[in-house]
Formats: sequence, C-alpha cells, structure tokens
Amino acid sequence: MKRNQIFALAAFLFVVLIGVPWLIQVTGRWDFYYTLTSVALLSIASAGVWLTFYIGRINIGQGAYALAGGYFSAILVTKLGVSFWLALPLAGIFTAVVSIFIGWPILRLRGVYFAMVTLVLTEVARLTALAMPVTNGAKGITSIPLPSGIASLENTKLGFYYVAVALMILVFAAMYRLVNSRIGHLCRSLQQNEELASSIGVNITYLRIIAYSISSFFGGIAGAMFVAISQSIYPSSFQVADSVNFMLNCFLGGLGYVFGPMLGTLVLYFGWDLLFQTGKLQLLIYSSLLILLMLVLPNGLLSIRLSSLFGDRK
Amino acid sequence: MEQILANGLYLGAQYALIALGLTLIFALMNVLNFAHGQMYVLGGFVTYTVYAQLGLPFIVGLFASALTLAIVGALIEKFLFRPVIRRSSREESTMLLAAGIAFFLDAVILLVFGEKQRGVPKIVNGVLNWDFRLIMPYDRILIGFLAILAIVSFILFMQYSKTGRAMRALAQDRVAAQLQGVNVDRYSMIGFALGAMLAGLVGGLLVTITGVNLGMGGPTSIKAFMMVMIGGAGVISGAIAGGFILGMMESIGLSVLSQYGDITYLAIFASLMVFLAIRPQGLMGKPWG
Amino acid sequence: MSPILEVKNLTKKYGGLTAVNDVSFEVSEREILSVIGPNGAGKSTLFKLISSFVKPTSGEVLFRGKRISGLLPHHVARMGVVRTFQETTIFKSMTVRENVIVSHHLRSKASLWGYFLGSGRAREDEEAFARSADEILGFLGLDDIANEVASNLPQGHLRALGIAIGLATNPTILLLDEPFAGMNHDETMRTVELVRNVRDRGVTVLLVEHDMPAVMKISDRIVVINFGQKIAEGSPVEIQQNEKVIEAYLGSEDDAIGI
Repeated sequence: MKRNQIFALAAFLFVVLIGVPWLIQVTGRWDFYYTLTSVALLSIASAGVWLTFYIGRINIGQGAYALAGGYFSAILVTKLGVSFWLALPLAGIFTAVVSIFIGWPILRLRGVYFAMVTLVLTEVARLTALAMPVTNGAKGITSIPLPSGIASLENTKLGFYYVAVALMILVFAAMYRLVNSRIGHLCRSLQQNEELASSIGVNITYLRIIAYSISSFFGGIAGAMFVAISQSIYPSSFQVADSVNFMLNCFLGGLGYVFGPMLGTLVLYFGWDLLFQTGKLQLLIYSSLLILLMLVLPNGLLSIRLSSLFGDRK
Repeated sequence: MEQILANGLYLGAQYALIALGLTLIFALMNVLNFAHGQMYVLGGFVTYTVYAQLGLPFIVGLFASALTLAIVGALIEKFLFRPVIRRSSREESTMLLAAGIAFFLDAVILLVFGEKQRGVPKIVNGVLNWDFRLIMPYDRILIGFLAILAIVSFILFMQYSKTGRAMRALAQDRVAAQLQGVNVDRYSMIGFALGAMLAGLVGGLLVTITGVNLGMGGPTSIKAFMMVMIGGAGVISGAIAGGFILGMMESIGLSVLSQYGDITYLAIFASLMVFLAIRPQGLMGKPWG
Repeated sequence: MSPILEVKNLTKKYGGLTAVNDVSFEVSEREILSVIGPNGAGKSTLFKLISSFVKPTSGEVLFRGKRISGLLPHHVARMGVVRTFQETTIFKSMTVRENVIVSHHLRSKASLWGYFLGSGRAREDEEAFARSADEILGFLGLDDIANEVASNLPQGHLRALGIAIGLATNPTILLLDEPFAGMNHDETMRTVELVRNVRDRGVTVLLVEHDMPAVMKISDRIVVINFGQKIAEGSPVEIQQNEKVIEAYLGSEDDAIGI
C-alpha cells in the first residue's frame, strides 16, 4: 500500500469508529446510529451488485438474496435456536449456494435480458416468502431475539453500528483485494469481451458463477443483519424498489471505483432522508432529481466507470 | 378444463396487450421501459376518474386513458429518452432513466389519486353459466373481447398502415431504415406513444374487473418482462405468444397448485429459468450474443 | 511427420443451407497454412468450427490425434489451439500491457484463492507474466505503446495486439482470422513479417484470409474452398496455376487472384 492510501484508510477508520460516535454523543442525535447502520448494510448489498457489474451484468435482483438471507437467519434463530453469530455467515453461504443454481442458467443472458430476469427474481422471492409455510406468509417472522452479546449491551444501537461498520470494512477490504488482484483483471476481461476471454482460456461460466455467488453472499449477510436489527422480517422487507436502489447506489457512486457503492449509498440514503421533511413530495422530488441527473449527465455517472480506477494512465 | 382455458384466454389477452407495448418500445429504441406498469396504473386511474367520478360512459373513459397515455408517452420520449439516448452510449443509462420515470409516475399517481384501492361500477351485469362447466361474468367476456379486438387492430395497423410499416423497418434495422428515408425521431416518438397507449388501454379495461391501486405498477412491469422474455424481446408475435402463455400458466397454476399455497409464480419462474437456459433468445427472438 | 491438426470430413449445416461441406485437410507442425476462398465461401464458418466456437453437423477436428470438436473454447485453448478474432477484438478499456498480461491466464499456477490471498505462487505468476508480456510486446514492436489504453490504438497496432494476446496463451497452433483485412500495403507487409516471426518461435499458424498477394507471400501451403467445399490444396505456386481456383475467383467479381 502506498503511504497516502494508508493515511486515507486511517482517517476513514478514525471517522467511522471514533468520530461519528463522538459527534452523536455531543449532538444527542441517537437516531443517526440507525441511519448510518442502514447505510453500512445497504452498501454491503450494493457492493455485491457492483461486483456483478464488474463482470458485465446489470443485477437488479439483490433484493431477493437479501430477503433470502434475512429469512434464513430468522428461521435458524427462532425455530432452531441457533446463535445469530453462526446464523449470519450461514445465511451468506445459503444465499451463495442458491445463487449458484439460479446463476447457472441465467448468467448466460446479457444486457437487458439479464437485468429483466434478475428483476423478476426479486418479485419471485417475495411471492415465495408469502407462499411458504416456514416463512409464515404475510405475517412474517417477528419478535426475533437480539443477538447474544448485543442484547446485554446498554446501548444496542451503538453495538449494531459497530458490527455493521466492521462488516462493511471487511466486505470492502475483500472487494478491494479482489479487484486489484489477478481475479479482478479476469473479471474485467469478462466484462469487456466474453468471447475473447474464453479464447484465452478463461472458464467464463465458472468465473461468472463465482462472482455472482460472492455478490449474493454479500446480499445474504446484509439481509440477515437487517433482520437482527429490526427483529422482524416480512415478504415486503426487501422488494423490487430495493433491488433498483442497490443498482442506483452503484451507478451514483461510479462503476469504476470499488468504494463507489459505499459513496452512492451514503448520498442516496441521506438525500432520501433529507427529503423526508418535504412529506408527500418526497418521492416526487427524489425521482425528479434522478431524472434531471440523467438528463444533465447521461454519461457523467457512468463515464467514470473504469477510467477513475486506472485513470492516471490516460 | 373449459374454465381454466377461458380464464387463461381472458388473462392472456390483457397480458399480451401489455407485453405488446413493452416490446414495441424495446424493438424501436432498445429501451427497457421500467415505467410500463406505472403507465398501466395511470390508465386505470384515468378511466376511473372519467367513468366512476365524472359519470361519463365507460368507452369515453377508455379513450381518455389511451389518449392521456399516448401524450405522456410522446412527451417522455421527446424530452427524456431522446436526449439521453443521443448523448449516452450505454444501455444502462436508459435503464436508470426508466427507473427514475417509474418512481416519478408513482409519485404523481400518489399525489393526484392517493394510495387507496379504487373500483368502478360494473359495466355489464350478469354471469354466463354454461352448465357449470364454464362460469364467467359478462363483463369479463366483454373486456376479453375488447382486448382481443385491440390486439387484432394493432397487428393490422403494424402490417398495413404506412406508419406501422415504417416502425417495423425501424425495428428491424435502424440504419437501413434511416437510409430509406424513415424519420427515426418521429417514428420513435409515435412508437413510444403507441406503446404507452396500449399500457393505458389495458389499465382502463382492467379497472372494471380488478380495480386499480398504486402498488400494481411494479408487479405489472415484472409480468410484462416475463412475457417478453418468454416470447423473445422486440418481437411482436413473441409478445402475443408470451402474453397468452403466461395467462394460461397463471390460470392453470391457480387452479392446480392452489392447494399448495401461492406457489404459481415460483413454478412459472422456475420453468422460465429452465426455458431460458435452453433458449436464451425466447420463443421467437433472434439469436444474439 | 504426423500432422498436428487434422480436419476430417467437416460439415456444417444451418437449416437447409450447407455452409461447410465435407472439408478435410491436415496441418503439419510449424507450417503456415492458409485457407482462402471468395467471399461467402464458408471460410469464417470453417474457422469457427476449427476453433470449436461452433459445433460441426458431422465430421471432426483432431489436435494431436485428440478430438477437439464439441469441446468448450477455453478447453480447446488450454490444449494449445488458440484463435484470434476478425474485428480487432481486444479488451478495450485495458492498456496494451494489461491486455497481454491478463491473457497469460493459461500459464497461471496459483489458484483463485492464491491470487486473492497473494500467495507466493501468485506473486511468482505475476512476475513471470509481466516479464513474458514485456518480451512479447518487444517482439511485436508494441513496447512503445504498452501503456496506451487499447481503444485508442490505430488499426495496425490493434491487429498486432490481437496476435500478442494469442501469443500470451503460449499456443501450439495459432488460428488467425483475416489478419490482413483492411490494411494498406505497408501494414500488410509488416504483418506478414510478424506472422513469419511467430512461426519462427515454433508456433504453427493457420490463417483464414482473402488478401491473395499476402497469402501467396506468407503461406507454406494453401487450401482453397468455394461454396463450402475444398476445391484445391497445395503450395502457392500450385494454387496459382490451378484451373478450378482461377475459375472460382474469376466467377466472383471483386477478388482478383494476386501476383
């Protein structure tokens, strides 16, 4: 790592681990913990979507995996009495395995076709959760006990905040490593030309499924973590709008930049929160801004795709 | 059996009409219109306003829906999609724009019509009962008939009118059409307006049966995507086939699988995945990639 | 010497149309063999069949006696049969050097986990690839522009980059799809030289082309196909005197037989 990178990392850690709790302490805005915890978790799910972009697929199905991960951990915790700390990684593994079976046929599709199928997937996940007996239909699963350790804390919000931020740091560190290793280069080769990639001997089917299952793993743990915080899950906990928002987070943050999803989530979530004061007009203003952004910068957000990561060479 | 078939046909006709609009827009502009479901909902609310609120005849409401959506579609194409398509190279940007428009229409519908479920008085009373083998309310029969009529007129329009032929040329090969003197901007706008109009028309038709509410937009778009993928994106015959297939599957699923809970859509999606694994371009789509 | 690649009774039908009809020939080690034919003769289908991007209707392709038809492209590449592409297909937003480095994939010894965790083997791989990439770039005269983004390159360089990508995979036999298409005389002559050098590295070259003068200059042997069928096979001199070939080329308007 270069020196300025170490400095940036240290500054980031200082801000999120010490600066933010201190500020909240001083201002007394305890509700910000919930907001920032949400941002951390949503950015984990968005990181997964970003990774699928990195192999050249527009993924609008992350909500399905967040929902699946949420339900899986909720069922483990409530029905089988498994500790949440075990259920969390298991939820990630569960969604990763599910995504292998789903990804195998659908990853052959490209462009809008893949996007359409993944969007349908989100809706199917919701309908499945409604229909299955084990998920308890529309009533969902409620009164899920708090994870041990956090339950005994005086300030559960702070506890969840630290866990979520730690998870986010782990996820983005892994992503950073992945993208800057040879695997990242192989993913880019896939993104740019699958035929050529396979002619230089890359097993494109295998690599696509690996990337997609990692992506779904992130969706699964984000979902499980959310459920632990809200102590409940319903079929509508993650739906099509959420899947679309994960995609928007990635676009806004920039597709060429590993930390893009984090930035995008922060901006969009806070923007949405700020607009809350406009009441009924919230969605209208939000969507107008979105449309306006596309009109002004049709390539703006997207053109930073890869050049920002390797921009200094241009 | 007859009952399932009749339900499937009735549903399929509505679905095909929705899918036709979506596929037309896709074929002409390579845009995946996320806002299609919202356009459908808007159409439903317009008919509701004209027919139930203002007390005008149902047919006036239907025309008002079609006209409103045609205008909305034309405006969206001219002022939003056209500039974005012109200045961006990636298909992702139109997708984002479409998502923004879907949110925007949702917001408008919320502000103007609220979030309550709305229904309209029955347009025709009575039920057809054929020996208890087939039971169907007359209004459903009428709506199904109107939908099929709309599909047939759409096909005839695309086949025989000058505008229809120009749009087909445009869908087949944009550059070649341009060389032959087809005004691309003009026909893209007409195509988008027509696609939106079809969505509005179905909204107006179905409001008499199922009513309309804000939440219907997203699921409707998703069903439309499924039909388009079954039939093959951008192909008119494919959209019709996809619509009827989905209608039939839903009808069969709801009667056969109902004792296992509501897993019809799970089953449909699973079969769609298997189908796409074998035939990624859909039933009638051109092979690609 | 036994042939390195055998094409046996290869046939491909699309619906009622027969694109390639019962074509057979052999390629010996370290030779440059060209497949030529008028436009629409079935050259590019034949090329896709040999590189296993398309499955034959009947017949087969053997590499060192092993059947490769029907295998996935990356398996075929792993065995040493590597193709380049017609339309300057490259990894557009990578630099020239990154293009070549990433194409060393088949030589990697470390696993994906190894790369992720930065194992010793992964680091050895990285170093070896970087060295080899620089060697290949130097060999093809691309070292000056190694850090250019590939999409900014002029066409002649793109073709060379395509060959560099092919070489990075360490192929036994390299299949070149119309390497001279769209080039002017000077560029063609330079590329001819380049392909010869590639052969001198020990790589067998099979190319599909319709630039006749270049083919006559470069090839050890030539296979001519027309309407999907092989109509002649032999040295450049033999081909130039072959009546069937002349007829085939006179029959089509725009291609004149060269030299």
